[in-house]
Formats: sequence, C-alpha cells, structure tokens
Amino acid sequence: MNITAIGISHHTAPVGVREAFALPGDLPLRLLRAFKAEDAFEEALVLDTCNRTEVYFVANKCDDPMGYLLGHIARLKSIPAVTDTSAFYHHQGADAVQHMFRVAGALDSQIVGEHQILGQLKGAYRLALEARTTGLLLNKLLHWAFRVGKRAQSETNLGRGSTSIAQAAVELAQQVFASLAGKSVMLVGAGETGALAAKALVRVGAGNVVVANRSLDRARKVAESLRTLQPEDAVALDLEDPSIRCPALLAMLEMLPKDIDRRPAAGEKERFAARAIELPDIPQAIGDVDLVICATGAPDMVLTGKEITKALRRAGRSVLIVDIAVPRDVDPKLDKLSNVFLYNIDDLDRIVSKNIATRELEVPRVEAIIADEFGTFAAWCDSLEVIPTIKILQEYFAEIQQAEIKRYGGKFSDADREQLEQFTRSLCNKILHQPIAFLRSLSDSASLSQRQAAADFIRSAFRLKGRKDKP
Amino acid sequence: MDILFKVAEWLLPLLYMGLVIDYGVTFFLRIRTHVHNGWIPVIILFHAAFLVVRSIHLGQPPLFNGYEILSVIALSTTAVYYIVELVGHDRRTGLFVFLIVFLAQYTSSVFLANTAIEPTTPAVAGQGWRSLHSLAATFAYTALALAGVYGALHLIGRRNLKRHNIGLLFDRLPPLELLGRTCWYAIIGGLVFMTISVVTGALVYGRGAGGPDAEAMSAKIIAKIVVGSVTWLVCVVAVLGKGVGKWSDSRVCLVAAGGFLTVAILFVASLALS
Repeated sequence: MNITAIGISHHTAPVGVREAFALPGDLPLRLLRAFKAEDAFEEALVLDTCNRTEVYFVANKCDDPMGYLLGHIARLKSIPAVTDTSAFYHHQGADAVQHMFRVAGALDSQIVGEHQILGQLKGAYRLALEARTTGLLLNKLLHWAFRVGKRAQSETNLGRGSTSIAQAAVELAQQVFASLAGKSVMLVGAGETGALAAKALVRVGAGNVVVANRSLDRARKVAESLRTLQPEDAVALDLEDPSIRCPALLAMLEMLPKDIDRRPAAGEKERFAARAIELPDIPQAIGDVDLVICATGAPDMVLTGKEITKALRRAGRSVLIVDIAVPRDVDPKLDKLSNVFLYNIDDLDRIVSKNIATRELEVPRVEAIIADEFGTFAAWCDSLEVIPTIKILQEYFAEIQQAEIKRYGGKFSDADREQLEQFTRSLCNKILHQPIAFLRSLSDSASLSQRQAAADFIRSAFRLKGRKDKP
Repeated sequence: MDILFKVAEWLLPLLYMGLVIDYGVTFFLRIRTHVHNGWIPVIILFHAAFLVVRSIHLGQPPLFNGYEILSVIALSTTAVYYIVELVGHDRRTGLFVFLIVFLAQYTSSVFLANTAIEPTTPAVAGQGWRSLHSLAATFAYTALALAGVYGALHLIGRRNLKRHNIGLLFDRLPPLELLGRTCWYAIIGGLVFMTISVVTGALVYGRGAGGPDAEAMSAKIIAKIVVGSVTWLVCVVAVLGKGVGKWSDSRVCLVAAGGFLTVAILFVASLALS
C-alpha cells in the first residue's frame, strides 16, 4: 500500500492554524494541477473541509513530500514557508488507508457521524478526476472509502439524531407534525432573521404566517415583502451564515419541500396570508397557529398572561412553541396546557446531548466496518504487489510439482524418486527463473502502475487471482 | 388434511412472532425503518390460503366461531397494516400492530386446536346476509384494533413530549399528527363497517328469531350483540366528539384506545363464556 496521507485537522490544530492552510475556491484544483505538471506524485487527491486540509498521494519521485506539499501551499496562498510541521500528521501505507476510511465513516469528524463528509470526499474525488491525478490505487481506495461511509450511515445509527440546536428543533417539530407545509406559523420577533425566515416559510409552503413584533412598521415591512414575494427572491438559506441568529427556525424550514412556487398565478387568490401584528395582539392571533417561534431580544417574557393561556386553550389543536430566546420569551406555565408543547433552548440542548451519546455507542460498530473493509482492501492491494505475486507463483509451481510426483512416483524406486523430485524442482525453477527475474527488475525501476500491471498479468495468465500467499 | 391444518395453525403464530421480532429490531435498533418487509405479503398469502382451504374443507367460511374470527382479524389487520406501511413508507409502528396480531392468532390457534368446528349461529335463511354481517364485523374489529394501537401510541408519544422525556421513545415513534390521523381514519372505517354489520345483523337475526335453535343460541348472540354494540358506540362517540364536539386528536385517541381495550376484554370474555 504505497499510499500516504499528509494533513492538518481539528484534532491537531486550532482553527487559527488550520485556516492558514485551508484551500478555498479553486486552490485544490490548482494544487493538483501543479502536482501533475511536476510529476511529483503518481496519484493525488486534495480533501479540504472546514475542519481539515489533507492530501492523499502515491509518491513517485518525491523525497520530502511534507516539505514539497507545504511549500506548494505556501506559494499558492502567498504565505511564509512553514518550518514547524508539528500540527501536521503523516500517515503511510495501512495507516493512511485506515485514516481515509475513518474520515469517510465520519469517525474523524468534529461532530462524529455527520453526513457532509462523504459528499465532501466525493467532491474532492471529482476534482482529482478533473485534474487527472487519480490512478488505479486512489480510484479503488476512494470507492472503498465511499462504501465505508455508506455502510456506516446505513448499517449503524452513527448519523442518526441531531447534533446541533438547529437540527434538534427540526427533530422536535418532526415528533409533532407530519409536515410543516400548510401549517400556520407565528414568528415572534421581526429582525433580520425573522424577515429571512418568513420568506423561507412562504417559499416552502406555510399556509399562514403571522409576524409579531414590538414595532408594527417592522412587522408590516416583513409581511409586505411576503405578499410581493417572487420566487427569485426566495433566497437559499445558508445555515452556516453567522448573520442568521435564528438557526433553529431556519433549519425547520429546511426540512420542508423546496420546489413549491408560492407565487400566485394571475387572477388566483393568494394561497397564503402574511400579516403583521403588534405584540399586544398576539392573544387574538395565537389561537390559529400551529407553530410559534420566539426569538426576540426582549428582556421580559412576551408570551405570558391569562389572555394567551385562554387563546391557546381555545385553540384545541397541538401547538408547538420553540423558545430559543435568552432570556426566555415564553412563560413556562404555558407548558401546563394539554395542547401546548413548549420547548426552550435547554430542552434542545438535551436532545443534542442524548443524540451525541447515542452516536458514541455506535463507534465500535463503525470501527468493525472499517476493519472489515480494510481487510478486503489490503487483500486487493497485496494482489497487486510484485513480491507476493512471485511467492504465489512459486507456490503454484511447487503444488504442480508435488501433484505430478504423487501421480507418477509409484512407478519409481525410492532412490529414483529422489532423483525425480530433484529433477522436477530444478525444471520448475528454470521455467520460473525468467518471469521472476522480470518481476524483480520491475520493483527497482518501474512505476507503481507498471508493476501492478505486470503483477496483474502474471496472476491472470496463471489463474492465480484470489490466491493468497502463505505467511 | 387435519395434520396440515394443525401445522398451519401452529405455524401462523410463529410467523407472526417472527414479524414481532423483526419489527422489534427495527424499533429498538432504529434500522430499516423505511424499508418494506417482503415477508408480510408471503405471510398474508399463506394465512389467506389456510383460511380458504379450511373453509372449503369444512364447507363454511371461517366466520362462525369466535376463534376463527380472531384469525381473520389477525389476517385483515396484517393486510391493512401492510397497506399503511406501503403508503406511509414507515414501519416504526409495526411492532405494536404485530404484537396485537400475534396475540389474536396465538389465541385463535390455541383454541381452534381444542374446539369442535361448528356454526355458532342458527341455521337461518339468508346465508349471504350472514356472511356480509360477519365480514363487516370482522373489518370493524380490525379497524378498532388499529385505532386502538395507533391511539395508544399517540397517547404515549404525547405524554413523552409533554414531559420533555427525551428517552427511548422520543424519536422512535412517527409524528403525533400522523398517529392521530391514522387512528381517526381507522375509527371512521370501524364506524362504517360496524354500521353495516349492525344493519345486516338485525336483518339476519330478526328473521331467525323464534326459530328452533334461537333459545339455545341466545347467550352467544347476546354476547355478540354486546361486543358489536360497544364497538359501534366507541366509534360513534369518537366521530361525534371530533365532528361535533371539536375534540382534539388526543381525546379521540383516548376513546379509541380505551374502546379497543374494552372490546378486547368483552371479546375474550364472550369467547370464554361460549
């Protein structure tokens, strides 16, 4: 396994160090093209995510790959050359393969079991294909890694459950509602986040949106923007955008269907209503909604008092209230109403903690998958090596020799049989001499792919595929 | 042939137990939650074939004995659940449904093995009406069983959510709304079928009243009438409550679950008495 992995990740360096080596935009492709042009690596792949930057390669004629790599990255990013490499890991052979399998299986991720890494690995592979820096070994390794990732997701509960407050809110909503499409939603607070969220709500099919805010003007502005909403205005929401301070709500919206065009056709009555109210009007409106999101910056509770209680009790239907404001916006007493499910930021945090604990329990099962896949990959790699091929070839001829002696040995005396054995052994060695010498010469001079091709040919010619050399 | 029947009678509970285990694994380990179970149609076919062959052999449909009816309920519940699973692409509730199915089939098998097969209703005119009456009642019990299971799951899920109990059941059950809706549809189905059963039953037993066997059969008929009436009443109360009284899903589910439990107890009691 002539594979090497060099990289830096959240395990070895803080973000302040990692960001210096991050490769945004087209830098990974440029790096791969540089490798190709300089013929330093026979095969190469660059994986760059928010938590890691790492390069997998099959070395060709590079004595100091770490220095070579860091030098290239420094030149690409116009940063000073790196002398301290303590933050970087350097895995070779089996370690490198197992590392990639752990990455693909999301065991090496900051949030163990997260789903994005497999897509990021596929993206990295696409880039390597585009740069034509993959060959037999990396192609196989990547496909093996994808299989590890898929098995980890499908055969274990590693990726199940939310691990962020935002996803926890989604999970919570999914316990109550079959779907949020067509549901009435009240946003309490109409800041920038509220406006974005309301647009997204309409885009994904909310039947009725009520925007409640201390400033009616602000709430109206949001409601008006909904009424005149065009599909192209429905921005794609980036949950990682730090300007969005209400990720729980936005994540909820992400669970809804994305292909609904909410723009009414000519003459068609609007299929949804968006209206603005002031905070004191909430009791009149709250009885008609299914989901309430509270995210104001108010110092006191917003949803409290007898009127709110009466309105919610009258509603009859289940109402989910997610209070993600700190200090809280919602009076905890409302949770005593039989039809109200009130969850605050601490509850969401408990959901996250439980899911993380569940994921930890799944790690051994994923480790077992990795061990299983590594075993088959290692066997495949062995089949491509020259020395094991020579050993298998010799064993094969020895088996033939023994079989023939057994078959005809009875016709000879004991003394003659010894001669016969010497003769057949010598004959086999002479026949094998040239092919073995040829294979040995390759291990000194030829490239990996040439060696693999030769080994593959020999194994095919003598039908040795599937055989393993004896330890 | 009798040996084949005996084998099938004991094989069916085992098959349903297999489903309970399979769905238990799905529920507790949360794996294959959205993958259809290919064994269900096979078991349905086997069960249906058993009932058809048995009916041909005995010369009567499997609806004249409480234990036979239990077996038909097990079959129809399985069939309805399979449709629910196909439509909803969700098998998280299968464990609970097949627990009921297994209990029904196990009871049926145990008692069928020790019960002489003979009609429990008087031989009266109008065989077609009788079949329709029994079949409709069987479907109504099936619907009530499903309503009871989904209603109970709704109540359990709701209780967990209300208590902020982020435990075993938190993300293992389907959404409350879905459970409530399924319970509601089952209740409506139960009302329709039980109404048909009551009307056809009145026709059948009205004609049969005063016949030579009427007196002997009266206790069993009364038991059937009580069980059927309670089933119909449960469905009516739930439908009126939701339709007129604007009941919440939870209250409908409570009536369904409580009603199912009551009917199940009455059903078993009537079997024991008979």
